[in-house]
Amino acid sequence: MATPPYRMWDVVERASTGPFCEQQEFLTKILVPKLKEVIEKYGIKYDSHSPIPTQDSLADRVWEAAVELFRDVGIYNQDTHRRITFSDKEILEALSCTAGEYNVGIGKDSKILQHRGVEDRTPPFVIFSPDIIFDEEDFLTACIAYLKEPLLDGFCAPILEESMGMRIQSGTPIELAGSLEHAMSLREAARLVGRPGVFLVAVGTSQSDASQISVSDPEWGVRTTDSRLIGSITELMTNNSMMNKVVHCQQYGCYVANLTGALYGGYAGGAEGTAVLETAYHLNGLMVYQSHYQMNFPYHLKYFSNTTRELLWVVSVYSQAVARHSKLVNVSNGFANAGPGTEMLFFEAAAHSIASTVSGANLWEIAPARNKNKNRATPLEARLAAEVGHAVARSGMTREEANEVVNKLLGKYEDKIADAPLGKEFKECYDARKGIPTEDYVALYESAKEEIAKIGIDFPY
Amino acid sequence: MNDEQIRTLVQTVVDGETDAAVKTAEEFVHANGDIDLALKKLTEEMKGVGDRFEQLEIFLPEMMASADAMKAIMKIFLPKLKESTGVDASKGRIVIGTVAGDQHEIGKDIVSVMLEIFGFTVYNIGTDVDPLEFIKRADEVGADGIAMSSLMTTTMAGQREVIEIMKEKGVRDKYFAIVGGAPVTPEWAEEIGADGYSDTAFGAVKLVARLVEERRTK
Repeated sequence: MATPPYRMWDVVERASTGPFCEQQEFLTKILVPKLKEVIEKYGIKYDSHSPIPTQDSLADRVWEAAVELFRDVGIYNQDTHRRITFSDKEILEALSCTAGEYNVGIGKDSKILQHRGVEDRTPPFVIFSPDIIFDEEDFLTACIAYLKEPLLDGFCAPILEESMGMRIQSGTPIELAGSLEHAMSLREAARLVGRPGVFLVAVGTSQSDASQISVSDPEWGVRTTDSRLIGSITELMTNNSMMNKVVHCQQYGCYVANLTGALYGGYAGGAEGTAVLETAYHLNGLMVYQSHYQMNFPYHLKYFSNTTRELLWVVSVYSQAVARHSKLVNVSNGFANAGPGTEMLFFEAAAHSIASTVSGANLWEIAPARNKNKNRATPLEARLAAEVGHAVARSGMTREEANEVVNKLLGKYEDKIADAPLGKEFKECYDARKGIPTEDYVALYESAKEEIAKIGIDFPY
Repeated sequence: MNDEQIRTLVQTVVDGETDAAVKTAEEFVHANGDIDLALKKLTEEMKGVGDRFEQLEIFLPEMMASADAMKAIMKIFLPKLKESTGVDASKGRIVIGTVAGDQHEIGKDIVSVMLEIFGFTVYNIGTDVDPLEFIKRADEVGADGIAMSSLMTTTMAGQREVIEIMKEKGVRDKYFAIVGGAPVTPEWAEEIGADGYSDTAFGAVKLVARLVEERRTK
């Protein structure tokens, strides 16, 4: 079966020849009206009682709405002011050519990253990631702590704020320095823990195309068996810098994920529009970004999280839509409200993991504390999310059962979301030198895990 | 008739029906309606629109439609208002953009719309804005302040750069400088010497209102 790229240079050229419009016109006159139209046409309706919807027909209608939206709206290139659009036939061709599984990493650490179905018994592929900046001096030890986790299938390291004591600024040589340091230290950490070929998603410190391109190296940097993230711009937009990364990654030969977060409350509107948009982004990933998998973090405008009731519904619905109608590989990224060292974070991690796993997604866990507070992430909450994901898949949990469990979990934290506790920093929860959690944090984790088991998750250990 | 027209005007603006709002506003002006009273009612209702968006009872497209309708009728009202009172209703002028290296739009756009709803004149200069450009545009338009957004930890330094250049050029006290964006914290705002920070659009409106008021009363 073919792998990306899909007609890459033809797609690139369309950014210069597609229909012209100004950006605000694209967002308000083309995207928003069409999104409203397909939501109504396909009868898509959010149900607050079912954070994990059980009707196949809802997922099917969301898929149809997303395909129609993507076909009629396309992707807007901010630099050329033109839309990249595709025909129905091209969309079908690209979907038909999707491999659906990839060997990632190398040697004994190689794994299969693959498409999952709804209520699939195959455990999710779990990428561990703190998703946040860490102090430079803690970068290596934090990477080691994460890479020690046995359920880790892939790893995305923290982001560096400084390099060699200098504040990193995108588009400057210091960003390039930070990107090199990030790539080199990450590789060193992987070797030190005895997982030299582990699948790495790197490097988060690189925002600019130049920095991202600078770290492609089979020895010390990003290998062809590793992956890059290339972001979409909210909503359904791209630019030449992103497209430069796309072209480079295909030529270099590494894996690519389209990083997308439809914004609940923004141009997407409510849960319905957010689910349709997040589904449509998978077609952007497949056809514009030439992606092997999709990294999804739909999130809440007010809380910057996706463990609220509405967002769990979004996560479940778009995942079911993609799982039922394509072989695309979906990786679902959790964004929690609470910080490390709190019971609430474990409940949020479990809810996100259940909603994703039962609906056909793989996992990317987890960004605590609204993804904005330095050093506030640890491997332990990601471990719990991974354990929940494995348990859900292996036990053959249904959507009905998952809905019941998630409703119970929401009952434990939903009323605390607005004032979620910030929790503690990595070094307050971990013995950083050894890369192991403190006794107190382990006790909290075990107590939360016991609570989660009581409400319906069948952990093997 | 005046009250009924004002009710229609307010409803069409809140509902984001720009064409209907413009038509009603033109009829209102033609009939020598009380513009002060209409604006008072509109301001109250638009604050409600902002509040409902803050609570996510409505979403960005609905809020933007209301804001567009409000802007359209203000174009009709403002010349009459200046004519009758000699007062420019503009509350303050703000230059807003996303800092260099950062392509994120939406947070900055939401703040722009909210500021416009509350009567500020906003110069939205886009994304990936060169630090010097913020200051040049503020000078061109006679701004009260500069608002800088950053959505990436690796681009936040651009906010500091703007403030440093303001100091170098000797215009630090000429404009207030405020910051926002997902990774931005109050500690960062303090560290770089910004005049304020907000983590919500509504908070940004309150911050700008306070800073403009402070400038006016100096």
